[in-house]
Amino acid sequence: MRIIKFSLQDISRNIWLTIATITILVLALLSVNTLLTVEVLSRHAIDAVKEKIDISLYLKVDASEEQITSLKTQISQMSKVKQVLYTSKADALRYFREKNKDNPEVLTALRELGRNPLSPSLVIAPNNVEEAPQLINEIKQIDSNIIESRDFADNTVILEKINDITKKISEVGLFIIMIFVFTSMLVAYNSIKVAIYTHRREIEIMRLVGASNSFIYLPFVLSAIIYALVSVVIIVIIFYPFLGILQPYLEVFFMDYNINIINYFLDNFWIIFGLQFLSVSIISVLSSWLAIRRYAKV
Amino acid sequence: MIKLVNVSKSYLKNFKILSGINLYIEAGEFVSLVGQSGSGKTSLVKLLIGEEKVDDGRVIIGDWDITKISRREIPYLRRQIGVIFQDFKLLPQKTLWENVAFALEVCGQPQSKIDKVVLSVMRLVGLEDKKNRYPHEVSGGEQQRAAIARALVHQPKILLADEPTGNLDSINANEIIDLLLRINNFGTTVILVTHNREIVNQLKRRVIAIEKGCVVSDKEKGKYLL
Repeated sequence: MRIIKFSLQDISRNIWLTIATITILVLALLSVNTLLTVEVLSRHAIDAVKEKIDISLYLKVDASEEQITSLKTQISQMSKVKQVLYTSKADALRYFREKNKDNPEVLTALRELGRNPLSPSLVIAPNNVEEAPQLINEIKQIDSNIIESRDFADNTVILEKINDITKKISEVGLFIIMIFVFTSMLVAYNSIKVAIYTHRREIEIMRLVGASNSFIYLPFVLSAIIYALVSVVIIVIIFYPFLGILQPYLEVFFMDYNINIINYFLDNFWIIFGLQFLSVSIISVLSSWLAIRRYAKV
Repeated sequence: MIKLVNVSKSYLKNFKILSGINLYIEAGEFVSLVGQSGSGKTSLVKLLIGEEKVDDGRVIIGDWDITKISRREIPYLRRQIGVIFQDFKLLPQKTLWENVAFALEVCGQPQSKIDKVVLSVMRLVGLEDKKNRYPHEVSGGEQQRAAIARALVHQPKILLADEPTGNLDSINANEIIDLLLRINNFGTTVILVTHNREIVNQLKRRVIAIEKGCVVSDKEKGKYLL
């Protein structure tokens, strides 16, 4: 209890220094959490693109259902194939009409044509995006007279670009975090150093009257842990409203993909903020320990 | 009992602040340690409280050889040796009572014990009525008495007084010396470090004189002869 009392005394007597230290720690945590948000969003974006990667086989208009079913079975049995979706001529027409419902000119042209010009198709989803090029090769080798054309639109290029951007963001973010960690250590070190200077007479008297070393050190170490706790609490208070503002924009941007960044931070609350508390505590305690060893020799 | 065997200490190369000191002080003695400024008196005090370590020789307190005392053991040594200084070393933002209690608080003593012990030492030094005053609200002599009370809370076997009257007028100085004598009468060994000739000569107790880091005189019922 007395250690807590001395620690709180130390914090209140150096209130401006405490505020400065906590501000720096909060800024460091803000950069960490912003980077984490970018990381989560880019992961979602990659997943979304991955879902888009598929291979379409357009079949001849006069292909029979038996021929199509046989081809579908043949492709489904391939090891690199996750699933094969069959779109009949009628379905294709229905999707086309649905897609162009706001485009009367296209619909009029279709009506004037007087017949369904669309081909039936098989949409093949690969098991693994990385295996898509090999799968494309295998599909190219299928010898079937009902295949009219093959669409191998390669989304892997987009995927590579996203991966590349994410990697660059992570690298820059890591650099920013390193700077903040270093700054935080310096600030925490300096704060404890000033606190020790403020308490130098008390420390001198404590030493004289036989206070144990831990009784002299622990209030400063506890102060460092309190800095860490307060900064994590502040970051929780300011970060959730920020996510609340971000969420509607994300919903628009990732339309059709169920992404909820607030839920992600709520579901992983203890892991995210617990780890941050632990890390900031370690950084602060380490810097305090260095300051104590140097300036409060017993 | 305090025993120093061939103790030497230097801070600079080729300059010994203490050189070949041999001393034996019985438990319960009242000893004045005299010498000019820079003679090595304060260095000797620092060795006795473990603030400095000897370069050569041995320092024994009771049956404890503190020559190579570890950092961990120093607090336990300091609970057995009360120390007072010329500048009192009181905390200005604490009352006299709080200053004295602080010495027990930082050693983790329970509040009930603190209240009891502080009351008894405040009575002993005659500050019971001024316990709630702050250091700046009392005289220098009373501040020194508060410092003595703080030094006594652990019931030390030895009381080291490093120039305790240096900042006091003669009336207050005499009061402090009387108090030290009373404490000595309870069986506490008192080592008075001073260069106040008048006080030493009045005491008529053992006087150890140090000059240039060496013991130059050690006499029972001695006088300040330097």
